[in-house]
Amino acid sequence: MFKFGAVLTGGLTAIMVTLNGILAGNIGDFIALIIIHIVGLITVGAIILFKHKKFNFNKEIPFYYFTGGAFGVFLVLFNNITFNAIGVSLTLALGLLGQSVAAIIIDHFGLIGIKASRFDKRKIVGFGIIFAGIVFMIIGS
Amino acid sequence: MLYIFMAFVAGWLIVLSMVFNSNLAKKIGIFQSTLINYSVGLFVSGLLGIVMNNQIDLSLVKLNTIPWWVYLGGFVGVAIVSASNYIIPKIPVIYTTLLVYVGQLTFGLTLDYWSGLPVSRNRLIGGFLIILGLLYNFRIDQINTGEAEF
Repeated sequence: MFKFGAVLTGGLTAIMVTLNGILAGNIGDFIALIIIHIVGLITVGAIILFKHKKFNFNKEIPFYYFTGGAFGVFLVLFNNITFNAIGVSLTLALGLLGQSVAAIIIDHFGLIGIKASRFDKRKIVGFGIIFAGIVFMIIGS
Repeated sequence: MLYIFMAFVAGWLIVLSMVFNSNLAKKIGIFQSTLINYSVGLFVSGLLGIVMNNQIDLSLVKLNTIPWWVYLGGFVGVAIVSASNYIIPKIPVIYTTLLVYVGQLTFGLTLDYWSGLPVSRNRLIGGFLIILGLLYNFRIDQINTGEAEF
């Protein structure tokens, strides 16, 4: 049941990229970014008020922990631009490849506070197949 | 080619924002960190809007010409964060990428079809190969972690 939930989460991502992409295509990339973040902020703000969540900043938190949102903006911007050029499935497929490569490098060298774990070279075969799949998707669109 | 590169870079950005946000979430809670994530995001979006100075046309007429549900992207984003927070800890980590991508691909192809991009044979073969590659690496991870179930 939870596995089906994970599939649905992926489906929601495709829906989100499509909605944001249509919005950006209609009203412009930068105003779309602002609207998308305002809507998200209202939603999560409502959840926090409704669930009476409290803020606790007493713990020491490194400054760079707060920079996730800045990366997120460029993520949304790039997704919106590519959605309008190559569609949602290819955008997500390429994103998956970028994500895998980034994860391998971060894991292998133990960057940004992640414990290092060596890359298993046998996985090159899997990534080769994934890469071939992306080539097929590019040819097909 | 530029778009292909951009989509690839977007994958890097997903990992970076995920790592930072989950670190913050461990310290102050998932919804609190999401609130900060969107606040910082809004601030940066505003800055970008000013720097890029692209004609921001906020006439109500223009905003009204778009169906209301197109504005729900930010809402869906928060829904994804909440759902992942609830679901992901309950399934083995190595399943996550595979299952999430199956959802992305099936919904993605459907949405592409709906927005006018035909589902060609090569696109289907491509999607199938990507899942095959993920399954292959999934199997290696399984062997490495000593998990027997497939």
